[in-house]
Order: sequence, then C-alpha cells, then structure tokens
Amino acid sequence: MSIFERTESPPAPPEKPPTVVTTTRKTRGLSPAERSKRRAGWLMVAPAALHIGIWTLIPVIATFYLSFTDYDVFSSPNWIWFDNYVETFQDPVFVKSIWNTIWYTFWTVPVSMAVAVVVAVALNQGLRLQRFYRTAFFLPQVTATVAIAMVWLWIFNPQYGLLNGILEFFGLPGKAWLVDPDTAMWSVIIVGAWQGIGIKMLIYIAALQNIDNSLYEAASLDGASAVRKFFSITLPMLKPATFFVFIISIIGAFQVFDQIYVLTDGGPANATTMMTYEVYRSAFQEFRMGMAAAQSVVLFAFLLVMTLISRRATREED
Amino acid sequence: MTIPTARAIVIGGPAREGKPGAWYRRRSTHNSIILNAFLMLGAITMLTPFVWMVLTSLKSPAELAQFPPTFLPEEWVWSNYTEALNAAPFGLYFRNSLIIAVSHTIITILMGAMAGYALARIYFRGREFVFLAFVAMLMIPTYTKIVPQFLMVKFMPLFGGNDIMGQGGTGWLDTWWALIIPGGLSAASIFLFRQFYLSLPKELEEAARVDGLNEFRIFAQIYTPLIKPAIATVGLLTFQESWNNFLWPLLVTRSEDLRVIQVGLAVFQQLDNTQWQYLMAGTTLATVPMVLLFIFAQKYFIQGFTHAGIK
Amino acid sequence: MRVTPRIRSWTGLAAVAGLVVSVAACSSETASEDTDATAGGDSSAAASEISGTISLLTPIFEGTPGQELLEDELLPQFYEMYPDVTVEVDYTTYGNLNEKLTTAVASGLVPDVMMMGVGWIEGFADKGVLADLAPLGLTEDGLKEVYTDSIVEAGMWDGDVYAVPIMLDTRFGVARMDILEEAGYTEPPSSWDELVEIAEATTVRADNGSLDRAGFDMMSLDPRQAFEVMLFSAGGGLFNEDVTEPVFNNEQGVAALELMTDMVNTYEVEDIGFASPDDIVNPLINGRAAMGIAHNNLWTQALEADESALEHMEPFLIEGEVPGMFFGGTLATVSSNSSSPEAATALLEFLSSPDVALAANEQRGNVPALTELLESEYVQSNRFVQFALENLEYAQREGGPSTWLEVRGDFAPAVEAALLEQKTPQESLDDLAALVQDAINR
Repeated sequence: MSIFERTESPPAPPEKPPTVVTTTRKTRGLSPAERSKRRAGWLMVAPAALHIGIWTLIPVIATFYLSFTDYDVFSSPNWIWFDNYVETFQDPVFVKSIWNTIWYTFWTVPVSMAVAVVVAVALNQGLRLQRFYRTAFFLPQVTATVAIAMVWLWIFNPQYGLLNGILEFFGLPGKAWLVDPDTAMWSVIIVGAWQGIGIKMLIYIAALQNIDNSLYEAASLDGASAVRKFFSITLPMLKPATFFVFIISIIGAFQVFDQIYVLTDGGPANATTMMTYEVYRSAFQEFRMGMAAAQSVVLFAFLLVMTLISRRATREED
Repeated sequence: MTIPTARAIVIGGPAREGKPGAWYRRRSTHNSIILNAFLMLGAITMLTPFVWMVLTSLKSPAELAQFPPTFLPEEWVWSNYTEALNAAPFGLYFRNSLIIAVSHTIITILMGAMAGYALARIYFRGREFVFLAFVAMLMIPTYTKIVPQFLMVKFMPLFGGNDIMGQGGTGWLDTWWALIIPGGLSAASIFLFRQFYLSLPKELEEAARVDGLNEFRIFAQIYTPLIKPAIATVGLLTFQESWNNFLWPLLVTRSEDLRVIQVGLAVFQQLDNTQWQYLMAGTTLATVPMVLLFIFAQKYFIQGFTHAGIK
Repeated sequence: MRVTPRIRSWTGLAAVAGLVVSVAACSSETASEDTDATAGGDSSAAASEISGTISLLTPIFEGTPGQELLEDELLPQFYEMYPDVTVEVDYTTYGNLNEKLTTAVASGLVPDVMMMGVGWIEGFADKGVLADLAPLGLTEDGLKEVYTDSIVEAGMWDGDVYAVPIMLDTRFGVARMDILEEAGYTEPPSSWDELVEIAEATTVRADNGSLDRAGFDMMSLDPRQAFEVMLFSAGGGLFNEDVTEPVFNNEQGVAALELMTDMVNTYEVEDIGFASPDDIVNPLINGRAAMGIAHNNLWTQALEADESALEHMEPFLIEGEVPGMFFGGTLATVSSNSSSPEAATALLEFLSSPDVALAANEQRGNVPALTELLESEYVQSNRFVQFALENLEYAQREGGPSTWLEVRGDFAPAVEAALLEQKTPQESLDDLAALVQDAINR
C-alpha cells in the first residue's frame, strides 16, 4: 500500500473524530451519502469526458477504422483488412524506426527523469540563485526548436563543433556526430534527454511542494542523512508525480518528431528515423492516410502495453 | 516505508518555520559550492540556445555569413526587430495567440482539475477505465488525429452554413470556435491533476465531510487551494503549448484576422532561404511572454499544503 | 476490395462522425464560352460576364510585403478586368503546403486556384483533383509558344495540361572564380574530369585532416536534388518515356552516384556533414567551398550577406554527357470542382501573366518561367536568374509517375547509403528502383 494514506492526522477539531467509512470496491447497498458522492464524481468527470470524447476519442476511433482501409484523402476508403499492417511490417524502414524509437525511449526517459528529480530537489532548498536556476532549466522548453537545433548542430559540427574541439584538446579524434550512422542516434538521444529535463523538473518541483516538511524534520531528529532522506522520504512521496512523468515521457519519446526533423531528418540513411516520423511521411508526404493510421495503431499498441505494465507495477489505489 | 515518526507530527505545528528543505542548508558550505557549480554548469547548457537566439537576432546578414561564426554581434543591429515586426501584422497575431492561449488555459484548468479530482479522490464504477482511457487518448500521434479533427470542424452541424447533417458549408473553419474548442483540453492535464490530488492526505476530506461540506465544496475549497503548484504547472504548460501551436491554426484559418504568432513567424522560413536574423528576432519576441509567465508562476511553487491555511 | 456488408456498420459509424468523406470526383464541368486567352493572355471580351467568388491557396506572396504586393498592387489590376470576381486568398508556407492540401482535399473544400510544386501535378491530376485546362483555353501548343517545352510538360499529366508555371527554382553549378584562379584555373569546369581536377586542386585540409575548404560542395542541398543534378548531367533520367518504370539505376544513374561517392571517399573534396541545407550560410558565400551545386537564390542571399562575393561567383552547367540543370518550381492549377472554372482560369492566367509572375519572382529571387521575361530589368540584374533562364533548354525536372510524392522521400536515404559506403551505388539504386517500382505498380 502506498504511503499517502498514513501521513497526517486531520486539522479538524479533535473532538469530532472522523466517522466516514472508507470506500472499498466491494461496497454493496450504498448509503445515500456515498451515492451522492459517486454521482458528484461522475458529474465532475463529465465535462472533460465529453470534450475528450468528441475531440480526441472520435479521431482515435477514426484512426483505428482507417488503418484497415486504403484511404488516400482523394477517394473514399476501401476496406482492405490487414494489408496496411502486413505491408508496414515488411517495410524495413518502418521496422527500423520501431527499434530506433525503442532505443531512443530506453535511454532518454530514464536519464532525463533521473537528472530532473535530482535538479528539482536541489532547486527546492532555497538556494540564493534558485529562481535563476529554475528559469534556466525551464528555458529549453520555451526556446524555439529551431534555435535549439542550431546550437546542437554547432556543438556536433565536425569542423568547428564544440564537441570535437573538446576532444581535440584531449588529443582524441573528432567525429561527424550527426551524419555518422554509428553516432547519429546517440547524438539525438543526448539532445532528447537534455531537452526533456526542464518540463520534468517543473513537475517535480511542483510535486515537492506537497511534501510535508515535518517529515524531513522528524527524519533529521532520527539522524537520517540527506541521501537517506532523499530515498526514504522524497522519492516515495513523489510516486504519483513520477508515475505521471514516466508515462508522459514514454508517450512523448515514442512520438518524438520535431527534434528529428530539425537535427537529422531521419538520416543518415534512415539511422535516426522514428515511428512518428514514418507516420508523418505516410500521411502528409505520401498521402497514404490508411497506412499512417496503421502505423499509428502499432505505436498505440506499444504505448498501451507499456502503460498497463507500469500501471500494474505502481498501482496506488485507495 | 521507514518513516515511523511522520505520523506523530501534526500539520501546522510550531516547528514549521523553515523553508522546505531547510535540512539541507545545515550541511557544510563545501557541499553547497559543489552543488552550485553543478547547477551553474547545467544552467549554462540550458541557457545557451536561448542566448544564441537572442544574439543571432542582433546580427547583420553579413556577420551571419562570416566564418568562423562570431559569438557576440560586432554591430548590434536592433533594426532587425523593427524590420521583423514589419514583415507581418504581429500585433494582431500576438493578440490572437493571447486570446487562444488564455482560453485554452482556463478551459484546461477548470475541466482538468475537476476531472482529475474525481478520478483521484472519488471512487465510482468505471473510474479506472475512464482514467486509462484518458491516458490512452494521448497515444495516437497528432499527425494522425489532425485530419479527422479537421473534418469534424468542417462538418460541424449548423455552423458556417452547414445543415443539420453538417453538409453544405464550412462549419467551424476560419472561426474562433475551431481555434479554441478542439484544442481546449488535453488529457495530459487531467492526468497531472489526478496525480496531484492523489498525493494529498485523506484526513482533510473526512474532516470536511464531518463539517457537512458537499463534494464540490471539498473539491473547490479544501483540496484545490492545496495544489496551487499543480495549477501553475498545468497552466504554464497549457499556455506554452497553445502559444507555440502552429499547424492547427494554419490549417483551420484563412483570414488574416485569425492567424496566430507562429504562423507569422513562418514567413521568415521560406523554401531554400531562411532569414535568420528576422526569424530569431521574431522568435525572441514570441518567447519573452513565456519567460515572464514562468518567472511570475514561480511564486506559486513555494506554497505547499503545509503553509496554506487549511481553514 | 469493396466494402462488404459485414463491415458496413463500421463505415456507417465513421460516416456518422463525419469522417469519411468521398471527394466528389466532379465531372469537371468545363466552360462552354471559352475566353480567347492563350497563356499569359490579357483580358478577353467575355471578361465582364465572368463572376463568382473564388479561393486561392498560395505558398508564395507570404508576409506583409508579399500580401501587399498581391492584394494592393496585383489583384486590383485583376478586378479591373473582372469586376464581378472576388478572390479570397489563403496564405500558407511551402513547408506545410502538404498538410493544407491534404485537409482541403479530404474535406472537399478544394481551393479554386492552388499553387503547387513541380512533381505534384501528376498525382493530383491522376486523382481527379485538378481541372484539365485545355477546354478552358490553355493548350499544350499555346503554352509551348511562350514557355520552354520542358517547363510546360511539368504541368502536364497523361497528355493534358493541368498547370501553368509561375516561378522556377533551379539548381546548377557555381564556382568561386577567385579561388579557382588562385589554383590556376580561369574557367569553370566543362566536364566531369575537369570538375574532379579543379575540385581536388581547390580542396584545403588542415594538418589534422579536417576539411577547411571543400572543392565541390554537394551537401548544401537535399541529397535527392544533388543526385538529380548529377544524374541529368550524366545524360540519365528518372523514368522511362511512359513513366512505367524507373531508369535511374541504369548506367548513367550509377555513374552519377559513383561520381558523388568518389568525390567524398576517393577524391575527398568534401566530407559528409561539412555543410547541410539547414546551415545559416551557404559555404560558397564565405569561401568555404570553391565550387558547389547551388540554388539560383544564392545570388539574393549573397547580395544580403556579402556583396563582394558576387563578382567572384560564376554559374556553370555541370557537364557530363550533357549539360545538367535541375528545375523545380511553383505552378498554378485549377480545382476540378471549382464552382466557377472560368473565374478560376482567369485568375490562373492573371497570376502567370508576365507582370505578375515577374513581381512574384522578384520578391523571392527566383526564375520567371516565361521566356520573354529574359529581357526584363530584374532578370538582367540577377546573373543567376539570367543564367538559368538562358539555359532553360537543358533544365530537367523531377517527377513523372503519379506516385512521385510517395517515393521521393526514399531518395535521400538511398543516396546517403551510397555516400556512406553502406551499399555500392549500383546496389543502392537497384534497391531504390525496386521500391519505386512497387509504388508504381501499387
């Protein structure tokens, strides 16, 4: 069970002890209070569900439908069963993009999450330059992608790039990082991890505000070290935020597009092409909407499986 | 796990004066220097693209063509800004982007917070399914959803000359509706709100219920004031995403009056020719509101529930 | 396969959601009362009878300057000729023209007049989106009187005219004569052998082998277009006569890609990654390359960045078996389900007329398609544009089959694979040709 239920006692007047029965899944014969509470629950979800149901669910259903058709935007779709799926899995470029996407996600998500949580904690200590640091770390989130790309293109440039300059200083040979098939993927991963830090840090900082300081004080009284407090208080208390960051990061990494578009264009020789990149090409360069839909469903399937697994692993129900 | 002492401490107790994390500051200044050094290094790598953008916006085309590239402008060409602003009606675009971003932020915070609260704190049948369904909505790439969304906007019944079946007219195309409604809410914000409401203690609601508050008031008056950091985060991210949106506004509008700032910036990136100095000047101007908003929003990042007056 | 009854419920579901839209393959209701116009023709006697509101989708004339040019200067002239026609302009960018057209076609709201790139006409015409212009008064023979043949053919599909060119983007060789003269050459290369020789002589490397100056730059443009320039100069082409199969993997094609590969790996006149289309500045402008394949707007770029470089830059045709030059460009088309095809055609003719085309080209530093504009002040003032226009007879374009847009994205990876020596040029082109053949057969 999670830690969140046994943290604090209520601020309510002590003479009125809590009497409300905790709800459980198996409740039968609900009390009127409980029934109105559940109704309130539905009512509160309803506006969002309606909006998402219309503007996202319908396009998602359309995507599933179109994935079984040969829709090309020019003429009505014809049902072609699994032809798109069969074709796309026979396409070596798409298969490569799946592996590239998995590889990219496997590295960028954990690295940027780890850095983000450490930076968030460090920037929650009331350092003198705290505001400056926070703003700086958030800046890549708002800086134009094209400006970010230009700077990284400069860093990775084989002739006058910063990275080769540093290597040269230590007497090491330089590389054409973004155009060498051996290093292009790693270069893209570095940029992806770097760029992902800001937003994750922001969410972690927000989540840190909800941790009761008294937990740390109590632990200090027990003589716990900073590292121990980080692992036994901070990280467990950040679990809901971490679940969010993890899922959203995986979804984001699986749908990486802009960076690839500006850094490598999927090259060299498809070394850095990603699933969303192939989806984009199918949809808007080749006008094969049915194919793009099928590729999207494949992407969806990967993400759904991963979400369900991590949901199992971190189940934090009442 | 291993924090048995936590239970014993009561919210609002006298021991709570220090800022969050005061435990750290008692450590040696030695550590502090190392920490600052690391943070400064990180901050510099994060700042570089932004600084590069600003410096590039102040260079002349001749200087941009130089090799090796210069770092600081030899001559500070402030006129890039006035010329960039003359390349498109940016005042109008700025206003439009602002209206859209503010609308999206308000819709998202209202709907997202309510839904997130219910999903986190009220058990009802199908809750887990609804939650996972919301998350699943994020898993289809934008590029796939955008054509169906466009068609829905175009065939919106009874708007723009359409009949009840959505035929005959242009629906919501080239209207504020298309700019504001479809992108008004992202499932990610519901998810984030849910996680934040989840991390609050149960005892608060039990006490409030004893006091006779109904569910909406518990949501609005007890819990929501405690997640100001989350509201600030969602608001900031929603605003930013909306502000930077380019493709959707381009697709659904035609009139100049409805075009947005990112569409205006695209003028500088023509096929086979980018006017870097103007592009960077325009982009810098477009980024400034976001930076200011972030600096402003930061003040909501220090109010945890331990400090908020619960009653 | 036809939609079987079993899945009709699915279709129905989606249809209710307003998602499945059949683009009414409109029987292009063509004009009975033709105007007397030929290409670039002026207003006709029937002009006053033409009326309607028409929409124009354009990736050019963007930004305030472009908009002012179009709406304050050009369109008023059009309204003078056709007082009963109203034009609604939808500005977009080239980068997102695909998305704009995709959604337009999918929703059935196809703009009456659309501008598109070379290589797009085939697919859109094949799918019935574009109107055949011949019944509207624009015939192949008429157009060929005022345009170079190959330019007119870029707007044709299956023997019919669907588009009229407005501006051209050309690519050819450019040499920095100051650098060549230093190395003892007074003329740009006139053959592949000379190209290699001069490139080798002008390449400069630092002691550690890092490239300071490329002898011949091929990295500043899309690998596909670089390959096409070399392919054309090798005397090769992309497809056979009736565009049923690719021929770029024949002897000439392989020779072209081999030359590119050798330039990088044997003669080492340029390294992969030395330049890129995303670079702020073309290496020819700041002397980081002695020669290169360049776009005609390099002239305008240099004019802004370093006027002194202009006098050293000499355009040349890369000569293998034949002189090679590549052209792409922007063409105007009319929608096949336009509600007033006469008005749309009138606008198309107006946009491609000399004065308008000249103004549009001048704004972007591009090459006007009309041969008669060679004498115009703008063309005479821009050496690259003038050079391109003078040599248009050698220019070849990309495209051919209706599936061109589907396959063109596969060229860059194939060229890169050869340059990186992952595959031999022959293997790389054979694999690409197989892919392209699949798409054509599909």
